[in-house]
Amino acid sequence: MKFSLSWLKEYIPIEMTPSDLAEGLTMIGLEVDSVSDRYAYLDSVLSGRIVEIVPHPNAEKLKICFVDIGTEKRTIVCGAPNATVGMITACALPGTVFPGGKVLEKGLIYNQESSGMLCSESELGIGLDSEGIISLPADVDVGQKLASVLRLSDMVFEVDLTPNRPDCLGIIGIAREIAAMQGSFLKYPSIDAFHTGSSISEYTSVKIKNPDLCPRYSAGLLIGISVGPSPFWLQDRLLSIGLRPINNLVDVTNYVMMETGQPLHAFDFDTLSEKRIVVRAAEKGEVFTTLDSKERNLLPGMLLICDAEKPIALAGVMGGGNSEISEKTVNVLIESACFQQSSIRKTSKTLGLNTDASYRFERGVDPKGTVFALKRAALLMKEVAGGQIVDGVVDEHPIPFTEQVIALSINNTNRLLGTNLDQETMSTHLKSIDFSVKKTNEDILEVTVPSFRVDVSRHEDIVEEVARLSGYNNIPTSFPPIPAAIKPLYKQITIKDRIKDVLIGFGFTEAINYSFVKRSAVDQLRLRPEDSRRCAVEILNPLSEDQAVMRTSLIPGLLDTMHRNISWQTKNLKFFEIGRVFFNMQKKNIQPNEIEYLSCLWTGKRVENSWHGGNLDCDFYDLKGVAEGLLKALRLEGIQFTALPSENCCYHKSGHAASIYIAGELVGTIGEVHHEVLSSYNLKQTAFIMELDLDLLIKKIPENKTYKSLPKYPSVSRDITIIIDQGIEVQSVLKTLEKMNEKILENVELFDVYVGENIPEKKKSLSLRLTYRSTERTLEDDTVNIIHSKISSMLIKAFNAMLP
Amino acid sequence: MENTIEQIRENALAEIENASSVEEIKALSIKYVGRKGRITLFLRNISSLPKELRPSAGQEANETKQIVEKRITEALQQVEGSDVNSIDYIDVSLPGRVAIPGILHPISQINQEISNIFKRLGFDIAEGPEIETDYYNFEALNFPKNHPARDMQDTFFVSDDIVLRTHTSPLQIRIMEKKQPPIRVIMPGKVYRCDSDLTHTPMFHQVEGLVVDKNIGFSDLKGILTTLVHQIFDEDISLRFRPSFFPFTEPSAEVDILCVICRGKGCRVCSQTGWLEVLGSGMVHPAVFENVNYDTSQYSGFAFGMGVERIAMLKYGIDDLRKFFENDFRFLRQF
Repeated sequence: MKFSLSWLKEYIPIEMTPSDLAEGLTMIGLEVDSVSDRYAYLDSVLSGRIVEIVPHPNAEKLKICFVDIGTEKRTIVCGAPNATVGMITACALPGTVFPGGKVLEKGLIYNQESSGMLCSESELGIGLDSEGIISLPADVDVGQKLASVLRLSDMVFEVDLTPNRPDCLGIIGIAREIAAMQGSFLKYPSIDAFHTGSSISEYTSVKIKNPDLCPRYSAGLLIGISVGPSPFWLQDRLLSIGLRPINNLVDVTNYVMMETGQPLHAFDFDTLSEKRIVVRAAEKGEVFTTLDSKERNLLPGMLLICDAEKPIALAGVMGGGNSEISEKTVNVLIESACFQQSSIRKTSKTLGLNTDASYRFERGVDPKGTVFALKRAALLMKEVAGGQIVDGVVDEHPIPFTEQVIALSINNTNRLLGTNLDQETMSTHLKSIDFSVKKTNEDILEVTVPSFRVDVSRHEDIVEEVARLSGYNNIPTSFPPIPAAIKPLYKQITIKDRIKDVLIGFGFTEAINYSFVKRSAVDQLRLRPEDSRRCAVEILNPLSEDQAVMRTSLIPGLLDTMHRNISWQTKNLKFFEIGRVFFNMQKKNIQPNEIEYLSCLWTGKRVENSWHGGNLDCDFYDLKGVAEGLLKALRLEGIQFTALPSENCCYHKSGHAASIYIAGELVGTIGEVHHEVLSSYNLKQTAFIMELDLDLLIKKIPENKTYKSLPKYPSVSRDITIIIDQGIEVQSVLKTLEKMNEKILENVELFDVYVGENIPEKKKSLSLRLTYRSTERTLEDDTVNIIHSKISSMLIKAFNAMLP
Repeated sequence: MENTIEQIRENALAEIENASSVEEIKALSIKYVGRKGRITLFLRNISSLPKELRPSAGQEANETKQIVEKRITEALQQVEGSDVNSIDYIDVSLPGRVAIPGILHPISQINQEISNIFKRLGFDIAEGPEIETDYYNFEALNFPKNHPARDMQDTFFVSDDIVLRTHTSPLQIRIMEKKQPPIRVIMPGKVYRCDSDLTHTPMFHQVEGLVVDKNIGFSDLKGILTTLVHQIFDEDISLRFRPSFFPFTEPSAEVDILCVICRGKGCRVCSQTGWLEVLGSGMVHPAVFENVNYDTSQYSGFAFGMGVERIAMLKYGIDDLRKFFENDFRFLRQF
């Protein structure tokens, strides 16, 4: 909502500076977004004296003027008939932006240099005269800003109104708030000159068929008017707040709408069949052409303004071409109505047609305000377009307005606000914005809500009025009592924080990617047709195809992150992301299944280049180490990595990926990214990824820590090296040892795997360090030797192993 | 010729005593306890002694070895401490072996900061679904269907009735449905709105807060939020509360801080107003309490919400919101 200071001053004297006014409005709940001088564009228009004129060599109608603008003389090509030597006029310098957006550039006009422009009133938007350039009084100094010479200054305020305040969608509404702020009185425009009577009923009538959608419809009539451009003051007012003047009748409807907040519509009365108005809902299949010449397919229930035969306007949204004001219009019917808010919004949304009128109707207009606006508009139309106002108004009012009366409890208000305001203060505040107040008893005020405050319907709404008028910053500051008892924090959150800490310690950086991905992300991952990750949640109105569906995996986001970073020349990357993935439940209007995942990506060098050497690329075991370290840090037990069969490797490289199990349950995967996936992301360097289902994993984290007493007796270590088939997984060797259940075998550590010289082909040598310890005594060599050789022979037997 | 271990010991100790350089002492070390040193050889020869002498000789020789070794170490330390030339310097300016921690995303950093403030104030933390029903995202929060208030939040739809949550406020309802007052909880999470430019991304993060109890007033809202702002920014920052509108609070308030860039003089960041909006808040609307069957005659409460990216932008002077989701390592490592 925009208004200019000069327009505002028609209704209320303003003593504050513009910036204080802006601050005051903001603090009362009408947030001022910007304050600017509407004539700021005139800053580069100066007073200048024409010192010499010579004919233009190449154009008969043009002259070359030499203009003194104080600091210099400029050569300016000009076509104005009234340009004379000695004249002081308005000289726009290159760079000036004219109303309408045209920018003045330095240039050649018929091959003659012109570094400026001499302007008429209309070119500068400060008057209607377009016949010649402005002639300023002879005593004006040259080089002055035109705006200061003509005292042109008018501040325009733009208010970002919240949807609950349609009463301030008219300047009078804003003036009312200022009156409350200043403690001054509001001056309404006079409508006394409007003759009451009933003559109008001889000319026309209004019938409302759907009173629920149109509780009130007022109409007035002018005859014998002449349509033409509006006088300057009216055009100027509209231009000051960014509205384009159209013709005197339409301009008046817009002017009064901006003044009162009541949208109006003017019909060419003579186009109406039977000269009457019928308000009804559209029927199935009805089509209507709005005045923007677009054919609209209507849905049943959309409200229409009709004459005896046909629709003439889409109620509250836009008029029709068939009844539009034209140059030929002589008789005009003015509509000032009140429509049901949600119905107008539905129509406007469905048709994608937002107008100043629909904006106000869907927020709610003053149900008691229609006749005032109607009379005001009729009087103004008579003033600017001549003609006669037919006495009286038609005012169909099938659903009369009922006043809201709310009992306001002083105690309750103070309790809700934490204040200590007395009844008198609250009463004064409410009266200042036209609420009527009656004291019931010491605690209760009976408050009658003015009709224009359609947003106020309950006790708390009045509390807010009291609060904002007494000033939020005058409300004291206190603290709610802190509860003595607290509960443990939500486990999911504390564990996620722990995971982040651990991974950051491991050198991983957190990424946050959008939760939406492109549809083809699942194809890039080479997911099989039956993979549940193909059941993505689709967004009906995505911003772009790249963000069309909700992700079912964090991997595409991390690969995008990798791709972006590599293109920015950061090639060694360790990223993790924690976030939700979403699975479509394949049922309309059922919320999808949301699962929280952790994913890691490692690509490039194991460590950044350094003088310590070891400048190696990261590999599967680097990331596996991270996985093991993380799971250990979370005190998870029973962790198993199982080779992912190649038929299950979609986005993993076959043979280089594993499933991760915790206590027998699959919680994730780890492995090298498949080369086809990499190339679909335009990536050349290999990457390793891990995914963990956090919802599952977190359930498996033990709640309690228990302490085991430290060993009292020393341990004894024995090494063993066995040569086995290369195909045997180390895990099966370790499992076998575990299954032997030797009480004194405390730990097994794999410290070497060797393939190569001295080892037969297709064999590998494993070196294990076995640690033995008894909880009861110091172990003797003999005891250890017996067990160790038992273990050795068991391994040899089980794996057909050789000793070196 | 030294025949007894005592003699070897006496000679060794005397020579060590007289040695004055590292080289001399190292030579003595080789001479006595090296691989072919005298004490070493003596020990090796013990097996050739008569059996009955072996234990005592062995013990004595071992003791001698220990004493000599100890004196050599001591002498070396003594000499090194006084002989500047003999100090074996390492280049301490060479970089250490790489052990670089990763970086927590700035959004998570601010989130943790906010959570820590509220944990100290005795708040719980809760999370909830990012894809919500119309009921939780709008209806229950007093946004009727076909109401202009819905325009305040550009919504991504999954179906007529399912939306990507436009704010973290639906969790207020989910929490109050499950639990009776007193409630004090914050709810961090991702939210979605279909809007994208320098200052809007289609996904961003909010932290919602809710306090419900007996006798909670607007002054309590001011107290908690003032503390929050002071903790996040600084203790001296000016803030103001001004009336606003949210369908689920009444009275509603926006919280502004004095522009951290221009300190109130007016600049591009604050659109020349000198103030920056950081929080939306208000007293819980009675219609919301009615939707969760709370007794409004007994309980009152306040709710608030803030955009985490916005706080991060103001705190760190970031001018393009989209940077948060590009995960450019050069950006992230600055935090």
